[in-house]
Amino acid sequence: MIESIVRATLLGVQSGMILALIAAGLTLIFGMLDVINFAHGALYMLGAYFGSVIAVELGSFWLALLLAPLLVGVVGIAIEVFSLRPLYGRNPLYHILLTFGFAIMIQGAVVQIWGGQARQIAQPALLTGTLSLGVVDYPVYRLFVLAISTALIGGVWLAIDRSNLGIIMRASAHDTEMVDALGIDVSKVFTGVFVLGAVLAGLAGVLLGASRSVNPGMGMGIIIEAFVIVVIGGLGSFRGAVFSALLIGLVTSYGALIAPTLTDLALFGLMAIVLMVKPNGLFGATEAA
Amino acid sequence: MARRPMRNSSNHERDRHGNSGDSDRSTMSRRKYLHTGAAVGTAAAIGGCLGGSGEGGGGLTVGYALPFTGTYAMLGESIVNGFEMYLEQNGGEIDGREVETVQRDTEADTNRGVDVTRELLIEEQADVIVGPVSSAVAIAIMDTIESEASAIWLNANAGDYRVTQEGCLDYHFRTSFNDWQTSAPLAEWVYENVADNVCLAYADYAFGQNSKNFFGEAFEEAGGEIVAEVGAPLGTDDYSTYLGQIESSGADAVFSFFAGSDAVGYVSAFADYGLNEEMTQTGSGFLLSEDTLPAQGEAALGMYSLLHYTPAQESERNQTFVENYRGAYDSTANVYACQGYDSAQAFAAAVEETGSAEPDELSGALSGMEIDSPRGSFRFNEQTHEAIQNMYVREVVESDGEQPVENQVVETIESVEGPTWDCDLS
Repeated sequence: MIESIVRATLLGVQSGMILALIAAGLTLIFGMLDVINFAHGALYMLGAYFGSVIAVELGSFWLALLLAPLLVGVVGIAIEVFSLRPLYGRNPLYHILLTFGFAIMIQGAVVQIWGGQARQIAQPALLTGTLSLGVVDYPVYRLFVLAISTALIGGVWLAIDRSNLGIIMRASAHDTEMVDALGIDVSKVFTGVFVLGAVLAGLAGVLLGASRSVNPGMGMGIIIEAFVIVVIGGLGSFRGAVFSALLIGLVTSYGALIAPTLTDLALFGLMAIVLMVKPNGLFGATEAA
Repeated sequence: MARRPMRNSSNHERDRHGNSGDSDRSTMSRRKYLHTGAAVGTAAAIGGCLGGSGEGGGGLTVGYALPFTGTYAMLGESIVNGFEMYLEQNGGEIDGREVETVQRDTEADTNRGVDVTRELLIEEQADVIVGPVSSAVAIAIMDTIESEASAIWLNANAGDYRVTQEGCLDYHFRTSFNDWQTSAPLAEWVYENVADNVCLAYADYAFGQNSKNFFGEAFEEAGGEIVAEVGAPLGTDDYSTYLGQIESSGADAVFSFFAGSDAVGYVSAFADYGLNEEMTQTGSGFLLSEDTLPAQGEAALGMYSLLHYTPAQESERNQTFVENYRGAYDSTANVYACQGYDSAQAFAAAVEETGSAEPDELSGALSGMEIDSPRGSFRFNEQTHEAIQNMYVREVVESDGEQPVENQVVETIESVEGPTWDCDLS
């Protein structure tokens, strides 16, 4: 009993931190660019597919982990510069339709190129096997995923909170015209934020692609979860996204232990309750970014 | 992909149906094709090339009701490849009649499946329906097949036993397998060779539940004990929690039904947690099949599964099939391609035997017919129209081929017949 609770907790925290990587990008993009990015799940999936190709072609998980997110970043630049930029300031519906279209296009392209069957990224030899944590044996790779995603989230948090770049980012979100008037190229800041989000999603794709299956449905699956997280945490709030990602990760893994079929219901139930009690989400509106 | 040119008469049909509402469609057509069959006969005489209902000469029309997009796209494509390879080998003709093929995408969706089946039967006047992949679609189209009564149905993959139990259709022939065959026969083998207690793990939907029930019943009958049952929702991302439950059941072996990307996720997590050192993994063949093994890789080593076809089978018949398939499509044949190929073989043999494409005559010919398949020859049960076939217990072993691992047959269970589920068509 204790064993399964410990295991579920570890899993919950681990998948929570990975979800945080995805949700953080989603919420930052919304907070700064005012864009609801439906293509975010597709970018996550692209990360996994790029990773699986690089891992096979170059024979190295580490190169995949390094290069795949960068490639996703390049895709992110293309999407932001060529399609989102002309639409800033218009009705948000334009962004939703556009990014939703990208999600479908990317998914279609993935099926065309790599087919419908599932793939996987081979784990590096260094991280195979399990580690005894007293009560349970836990796979080394999953502990690595937990560590690296926590470090990344921490890094991004610090960057937004402390660095000059973070201050410019938050200022741009707050008052775009003023920042522009002060001689800072806001459009570059926007591109940067979008690319950061894309890279984080791509990273999550590679990390999860080695412990789950890589398949054309993975993007659509994760985007729903990511939206639930962002809504619960408060649209645009980084802190909220991280907090509620952990919450959702734990709810999902405890749910699987108690009533597997009701887990999805629990997620949406939680979202409904939060929306009723705090319509802006747990951390919404109290924080600009 | 492109559909071959249509006959003029069909365009005419389409216009006429265009005027009636969707709900009228089947009544309209049934009246037309069944009750005023004479009119059709006249039309055929005038048109001279209305192959559809297939009296005597004229062409034959094959209707593929298969998924060509989405998760099951690869399966649909493989079935078509298998079928077309047979046609190709025979100059595109069966019994001296030219064969046209028409593809319709079911999208593995029940509503869509019914629509395309109706289209194939009514507008395209198909002589044979090949498909579907999804069992839910198969159950949904049973009514249409029965009420239109205009074509034989070669079920090239949907294995749900309820198609026989609830449908028991005269026109339905399973050129593939049923869920009893891919689970129950393994139980006795596991009891005798692996362990006397198992944990059941399954994807929690109809097919997964059927498989674990069939296995569980047969395992207890053999004298074994079911220690625990663990159901995971279809499309589960992370199997950690379920693996925890499997591990704490303390069973010596586990029987699983998962397929596609679920099978990949489950098997790799099973190895991640080191469960393969504590218990033996067994399962229905789809847990470890040609579409999942490349992704599962070494994590799958030493696992056992049961299926009616394995590309590595060492018979001459199969080697030829695999070589030809590689020559034609530059890829390894899989179980779905074999099912497509056998559907073509069955259809051709029946048309040649009767010289007709009338579904009643074809059904009569197919019942009890033996097919010389790459999987080993099989026979259609007169009572149920299920395939009576060999089932193979396979072990995943290292391979020196293009993939790191492959299935190797360790035991053949011969002529597996299965229950009749109170269906008697003989």
